[in-house]
Amino acid sequence: MSNKMISKVEGQELILERVFDAPRELVFKAFSEAEHLKHWWGPRGWVLTVCNIDFRPGGIWHYCMKCIDEKQGDFYGYESWGKGVYQEIVEAEKIVYVDYFSDAEGNEAEEMPSSKNTITFVEYEGKTKLVNRAQYVSAEALKAVLDMGMEQGITETWDRLAEHLQSLQ
Amino acid sequence: MGVKITTTLNALAEPNRLNIVELLRDGPLTVGEIAERLSLLQPQTSKHLRVLSEAGFVEVQAIANRRIYKLRSEPFQVLDTWLKTYRSVWEERLDNLENYLQKLQSKGEK
Repeated sequence: MSNKMISKVEGQELILERVFDAPRELVFKAFSEAEHLKHWWGPRGWVLTVCNIDFRPGGIWHYCMKCIDEKQGDFYGYESWGKGVYQEIVEAEKIVYVDYFSDAEGNEAEEMPSSKNTITFVEYEGKTKLVNRAQYVSAEALKAVLDMGMEQGITETWDRLAEHLQSLQ
Repeated sequence: MGVKITTTLNALAEPNRLNIVELLRDGPLTVGEIAERLSLLQPQTSKHLRVLSEAGFVEVQAIANRRIYKLRSEPFQVLDTWLKTYRSVWEERLDNLENYLQKLQSKGEK
């Protein structure tokens, strides 16, 4: 119940929240070490084939996700490269990095949106609340989309989440 | 999908353009009307409308001798799809993390 992901938009940020039944230090570690990331970072059916991580401010995290699930059709065998550049790290509390779509050489893909991500780890009733705030370069657009949703049926998803959130409280 | 997500995002990132889009939600308008309501110069307004049009946000309709700008829904759908994808990728990722953390902790206890 409390472990459902919550997503919302506040100002220019896309926010995801989720509570994990694990100590904060461990959740932080899962985000900061290649050995851990390899076990979970890829979406279902995808594996991390490359995960080079230089975990310090200014350091670079370069990774490749590969689809190994034949059922995913066109994506099967597809490789998706990502690159993160760390800006700020506070042990067990906070990671700030800029997230880019990339290629095998680590070049940043300009045609895809980059985002500045701030992940915070908060102790919460003996569990850990993870909050991921993604700020896109041109994120004013996000707010516009949500504001405009009524006629296009866009905010539906988010409204349902808001309702769901309300019902949990 | 035709329109790239960055084109869509960038088109709306400029405050005047965002204002134009918000204004057009209430109904189609001419360049002159848009310029007047937002206190913009007409050439400036035309330029913004061109960017919005290239990103697919607006289309022009000629009615008598007036050119009227109205909103199109396609780029909003592009953004919506993109948001949903973003959300579902993270949902799966955090599901994985949860399973993984459970595994780690049960190992630790033994």
